[in-house]
Amino acid sequence: MYFFRKLEFIFCGFLPEYKFVNARILLSRARIAGLLLFLVCMAACGDNLFPSGEDKRPSVLAGSNGGNVGQKAPDFSVQDINNATVTLASSTSGKKGAVFYFTMWCPICDSHMSSMRAMVAPSFPDVNFYLVDYVSGSIAGSAGAASANGYAGGMFTTLADTNHTLTGNFQGTMGTTVVIDSFGIVRMNEDYRDGAHLLSTLATLN
Amino acid sequence: MKQKTLSIITAVLLAGAATLFPIYSFAASCCGGGSAASLTVPKYAAAVADLSFDTEIYDGYWNQSRKYIADPPGSDLKQYRLNMGLGYRLARDWQASVSLPYVWNDNSYSGVSSQTSGLGDSTVSLMFEARDDNSAWKVRDIGDMIPGVSLGVSLLIPTGISPYDNQHSSFDITGRGFYRLDGNLLIEKTIRPWNASIALVYGTYLERSINREYGKYVEPYRKDLGDRFSASLSTGYTFVLGTGGDSITATASYAYLNEADASFNGKRDSGSGFDKQSVGGALSYSNNDQNWSIRGGWNHAIRQNGWGKDFPTTDVITVGVRYVFL
Repeated sequence: MYFFRKLEFIFCGFLPEYKFVNARILLSRARIAGLLLFLVCMAACGDNLFPSGEDKRPSVLAGSNGGNVGQKAPDFSVQDINNATVTLASSTSGKKGAVFYFTMWCPICDSHMSSMRAMVAPSFPDVNFYLVDYVSGSIAGSAGAASANGYAGGMFTTLADTNHTLTGNFQGTMGTTVVIDSFGIVRMNEDYRDGAHLLSTLATLN
Repeated sequence: MKQKTLSIITAVLLAGAATLFPIYSFAASCCGGGSAASLTVPKYAAAVADLSFDTEIYDGYWNQSRKYIADPPGSDLKQYRLNMGLGYRLARDWQASVSLPYVWNDNSYSGVSSQTSGLGDSTVSLMFEARDDNSAWKVRDIGDMIPGVSLGVSLLIPTGISPYDNQHSSFDITGRGFYRLDGNLLIEKTIRPWNASIALVYGTYLERSINREYGKYVEPYRKDLGDRFSASLSTGYTFVLGTGGDSITATASYAYLNEADASFNGKRDSGSGFDKQSVGGALSYSNNDQNWSIRGGWNHAIRQNGWGKDFPTTDVITVGVRYVFL
């Protein structure tokens, strides 16, 4: 309230007398609007009102198992849309690593997958690229979705994560992109964004 | 007679307001959202309170090539929003409003289902009525053709649950996590019983720091969403019911929305923008004596190739009630 009273004093001091009353009414009503704005802000409890740029990544114990960067990826066994079994070992066998992209066949997913197909995958023929379908619930469903969205075959292999094994292992959700190197170590686990970090991560694989 | 005229003007303006800014941001199945529509206070009113309920039904999307892609079989994606709004006239030509949505996400695929809820992104607006519409019954001179013009600014406040909160799933998202400052231009003209309006909005998001994605802390970076432009055209016809002055206004609208590419650490992410076109229809009933109005509306994204890019195709069904304080 002190702020508004101060504003009122400053503002009204420059006004002709005949406008003074209107200005006081205006400012009085502005107090109510300000109060409403304050209530809206108070109602919010997320971190978005005051975003933080502080690096809060937890330290990871070398050699531990888990889905965080630096950990050894948990083993898994899932079927692809051709009914072949893909495991942690087979996903990187004979390659420098593997990329797992979690898709729910949405427009943002399509944007990411399209970007990955055009800008990333062609530069890394020695890396396997997997699309992890965690929503379709069956191999046939994943196959149909991959085909309908234009991602059947080609440089991507679509995995049907019907039991949410990969989703659970890597805390995957729409856009999550995981890179695992040939030693089974998680090298990246984050949202796809613009693909720049994925490119730089893949470039470091041996 | 004066009261009746005032009420008809109110009804017409309410109908216009009901279809003002009919564009909703991302929502439900993949992208967060939940922005409430803006409010306008009729010229001769002191305030307006509004309560509306949206049901947004998802069915596919337009891809990068502007091709329409249906959702996977067995999927059922909906978002419900309860929008609470309050508009307040600060002075003869100035008004302010606050809109606050509460959002329920209801997503079912063959392999997963999720029901979550939370506060959506809220909006505060300030509007200046630069020129009043005379709302003529009959055009007698060129002055009667001059439309009403309003200018405004709105601030979208990220009060919703965003991907950068401690939430592990995209199904939980009810907001985008960014502040956005909009400039609004509304041009409207009423020559009874017809009315027409054009609403243009240009918005810019405020760049922010991000250190967490879906509950996982990541190397901090800065992100900015692309500038947003929207335009909506609407035209309506008001039927006066009997001699009591109650009225029904039918409105048809077209809306276009475009958001430019996002950027990460100042570098543009080519291809991340989107656009959308939709059409809508609304009916608004206004009771003169009580200053109440109720409305129902339908906004439809055209499920054909070429009508959008990288955006979900949805139908939004809205029912609402509004009270005008004179």
